[in-house]
Amino acid sequence: MGKRKFQGMCASRPGQPPADLIRQREMKWVEMTSHWEKTMSRRYKKVKMQCRKGIPSALRARCWPLLCGAQMCQKNNPSTYQELAVAPGDPQWMETIGRDLHRQFPLHEMFVSPQGHGQRGLLQVLKAYTLYRPEQGYCQAQGPVAAVLLMHLPPEEAFWCLVQICEVYLPGYYGPHMEAVQLDAEVFMALLRRLLPRVHKHLQQVGVGPLLYLPEWFLCLFTRSLPFPTVLRIWDAFLSEGAKVLFRVGLTLMRLALGTVEQRTACPGLLETLGALRAIPPSQLQEETFMSQVHSVALSERDLQREVRIQLAHLPKSSPGPAPLPQARLPGAQAIFESQQLARVRESTKPEIPRIVVQPPEEPRPPRRKPQTRGKTFHGLLTRSRGPPIEGPSRSHRGSASFLDTRF
Amino acid sequence: MGNGKDEDYNFVFKVVLIGESGVGKTNLLSRFTRNEFSHDSRTTIGVEFSTRTVMLGTAAVKAQIWDTAGLERYRAITSAYYRGAVGALLVFDLTKHQTYAVVERWLKELYDHAEATIVVMLVGNKSDLSQAREVPTEEACMFAENNGLLFLETSALDSTNVELAFQTVLKEIFAKVSKQRQNSTLANAITLGSAEAGQDSGPGEKRACCINL
Repeated sequence: MGKRKFQGMCASRPGQPPADLIRQREMKWVEMTSHWEKTMSRRYKKVKMQCRKGIPSALRARCWPLLCGAQMCQKNNPSTYQELAVAPGDPQWMETIGRDLHRQFPLHEMFVSPQGHGQRGLLQVLKAYTLYRPEQGYCQAQGPVAAVLLMHLPPEEAFWCLVQICEVYLPGYYGPHMEAVQLDAEVFMALLRRLLPRVHKHLQQVGVGPLLYLPEWFLCLFTRSLPFPTVLRIWDAFLSEGAKVLFRVGLTLMRLALGTVEQRTACPGLLETLGALRAIPPSQLQEETFMSQVHSVALSERDLQREVRIQLAHLPKSSPGPAPLPQARLPGAQAIFESQQLARVRESTKPEIPRIVVQPPEEPRPPRRKPQTRGKTFHGLLTRSRGPPIEGPSRSHRGSASFLDTRF
Repeated sequence: MGNGKDEDYNFVFKVVLIGESGVGKTNLLSRFTRNEFSHDSRTTIGVEFSTRTVMLGTAAVKAQIWDTAGLERYRAITSAYYRGAVGALLVFDLTKHQTYAVVERWLKELYDHAEATIVVMLVGNKSDLSQAREVPTEEACMFAENNGLLFLETSALDSTNVELAFQTVLKEIFAKVSKQRQNSTLANAITLGSAEAGQDSGPGEKRACCINL
């Protein structure tokens, strides 16, 4: 007779982990976030794993701004948001934003009333962004993204998270040309061809191009397309691991909607095929089962970046608007952390005005030991300016090339 | 509702809704295909579509109505939207002159991406808000006449003329199609990517086909 695992005192909600497991995870996150720099420098793998399992809902407000670097932005720019909040908005943007306020999450209690803090917060945050980046202006898809942030965070934190999403996670998505969306649509098709060739072929045959479904998915980070608990899980992983997660989710949805012969046969045309993408049974989109499939999609960061490079080279030169800059995209929390650390070090080691010093020459220093780098990929600060070298966290698996290669 | 696979229809006509953000495209779509209207429908970000089958004479016509984001920046990614469209409703809000002032730009956008023979109706929506009117009927009517467009004022909210607008466009398309069929020896021109494409239909055989004018 097998032993039964003791589940804990509280009954869990269906589809939810048991309450004591949630509590354990909460403790882990409290511990990790209390020493965030240490955690990110040395134990990012643990952060990544915990994000994949899902951040406990009570702690998203604390974790999201840390993961996406918004907290650091806010710290570095303590008065910016207040200044933006009191400044008058560009009248044209204000009109457009205003028209959309009641149309973002119209059925969500927080956003029902025009005088409520939901719509007001949305107005503040979106207006602030158009002032912060006037050349970018307002993109309607920022509405649902900001709304989900505001469901968890006060406006200032939500604003900086929005900035990070628009500028660092998905640059080129929300601007006037949305050039990165077009590129990623091509990338998605190429990945489909490689990973789900029969689905790809079907889509070609019925004439469904990626621009017919991908923009709403990616621009809104799936807030319009999937059950809310699943959306939050996707965001946990997205803020941790970057755009790669969006592609994995898209591929999973494709497989769930059109992965079998029966499903494809039931979609003889374009409308049926698009309809199938929207009609995946909710039971298959339930967070635990869905996310475990997402995390096992065979698409690494390196695969993604390689495909992005290929598709970038294929883009027609004649297309209007600026060329996308995929290298501006940071693949998640660790890259963001490093880039912010780097910026901080650069700030603090600004060259001073040289002074003339008359002193006897120093003792010659012993030669520095070269760090052992064979076979390892480094993602942190490689060395300090003096003393023995520090190794960054080594990756246990290859293939996730870091965007940054820092070396002192 | 109109997208059952069991239905018999002779034709599928793709009609696109275009116009500035907030003029009422989504509600025109829902009013026509589902007889629904909502003050709080979501902003359209991707592409939405709905279908309804109507009888034109003895022919059953499946109207495939497409709706998308009106905001300027979405132009870059919505060119695929126009492919195969045989009709368009160019919608403006008659209580907001700015949405009418850009109609010419939308027309250009349309002709850049769609067939030159596309049937276009200019639609002044929100006629229920008569007190707030900013675009005189005569002005819009004249513009439509000068540019070879059909014209109607509608209200998705109280249903005024919505049915008539779509029916008129569909009839116009049907008339063109019938004429083309009479004139040309090549029946059943097939649009790109249509899954219903394929064999010639013999007389009396009810096969659906996408018509490319």
